Amino acid sequence: MDALSAVLQGLPMTIVLTLSAFAIGILGAVPLAVGLSSSNILIRLTSRLFVDLVRGVPIIVWLFLLKFGIQIGTFKFNPVAAAIVGLGVVSIAYLAEIYRGGLQAVPRGQGEAAHALGLTRGTTFYGVMVPQAFRIVSPSIATYLTGLLKDSSIASTIIVAEMVFQSQSFARQHPTVEGILPYILVGILYIALSLPVAYLSRRLDSHMRKAVYA
Amino acid sequence: MTLSEIADGKLAPRTGIKLDNICKRYGDHTVLDDVSLHVEPGTVTALIGPSGAGKSTFLRCINLLERPDSGTIQVAGHTIEPGKVVNNKDLAALRSTVGMVFQSFNLFPHMSAMKNISFPQQKVLGRSREEADARSMELLERVGLKEKANQPPGRCSGGQQQRIAIARALALDPSIMLFDEPTSALDPEVGLEVLAVMRELAADGMTMIVVTHEMQFARDVSDTLVVMADCKIIEQGDPGAIMSDPQEARTRRFLRAVLER
Repeated sequence: MDALSAVLQGLPMTIVLTLSAFAIGILGAVPLAVGLSSSNILIRLTSRLFVDLVRGVPIIVWLFLLKFGIQIGTFKFNPVAAAIVGLGVVSIAYLAEIYRGGLQAVPRGQGEAAHALGLTRGTTFYGVMVPQAFRIVSPSIATYLTGLLKDSSIASTIIVAEMVFQSQSFARQHPTVEGILPYILVGILYIALSLPVAYLSRRLDSHMRKAVYA
Repeated sequence: MTLSEIADGKLAPRTGIKLDNICKRYGDHTVLDDVSLHVEPGTVTALIGPSGAGKSTFLRCINLLERPDSGTIQVAGHTIEPGKVVNNKDLAALRSTVGMVFQSFNLFPHMSAMKNISFPQQKVLGRSREEADARSMELLERVGLKEKANQPPGRCSGGQQQRIAIARALALDPSIMLFDEPTSALDPEVGLEVLAVMRELAADGMTMIVVTHEMQFARDVSDTLVVMADCKIIEQGDPGAIMSDPQEARTRRFLRAVLER
């Protein structure tokens, strides 16, 4: 089937975009989440401003700005790099907010007990707060990942050859009823890619619940 | 005797603590109004009084979970003035000398009972995992919960969790233990198993300060009864004497309310 092979050509790029942006987000959100809950008002406000600015603008606008709006000397973003950076920065902002919520949901007594035991702030954060926050936010992170997978299709607008871009070119070359076929297929592919994420997330969640709450 | 030796657990010296002129305000709201308390080594002090009297806040000021606005704390050869900048060395010395048990246990839910007790030993005292686990087992046995070692706190009853929390605090070899209403979240029967552990601890000569509503425990176990009301200590002395013949009208009112329940 021509339509299917056309769409599948874009599959590796969709996966690369999604996973690269997700990796950037997962790591980059850690310091930002700390900033969002900092007791220093300047750090907190700066972090808050960054999050609200990034989330307040549609992803498509960020991608256009990165692709066409940035030129430093002879340096310009190529489409793939612009898409990864754009989706990555947006992920940082969303995930930082998710992390912050998770950290705040850890009962206050946990931090107090850690301080009373004489654990340092670093040990308290990484040994006590983060593992519990992770348990709380892991379903939200999985939801974000499936959302990001679908948002990666926006990269097609800056000429990144992922699945939707490939569907469009196929449709353009087949201006008959056959042209609708790749869109149906790409829809099914997105669902197929989301399902394992949702499934693994539920498994992980119920596993952690069992381990902790019994 | 040095602090590091205490921290190594080579010596578990009997230490007292002196708190002088502790004041604490939240904005305009005064919580502690010039409270002083001297606790002799190896004694048990029970802190009673109506809600909002400042008992818990006072207890939390002792290990600086709450930072008093002024006053001095003298413990283990260190003098700490919490109204000023407290250096990390003094803070570490304070926290390693003073252990605390909370009303809501506050065990780490993502760690087994054993890990709850071992983790702080490894991080704070630098014990090896084997050393820490050996000490944890010893303490779990002492509080009668050896068989719960590998269970997460979520699979333990409230009374069991509180006993694990006591073991966790003891594992760091503190010379003073603070208890903030340790049985208030437990039903009376289960509370007894926790009180039994505390009685044993008192008999071993641990210096203890206990915020409690357990009058029987206060009468039997404590050496000093301290009554707080309206942000102050209003009466202190021999528990039997105060309970049978309170000098202050406020104390009488409070005791009548508690004892007639």
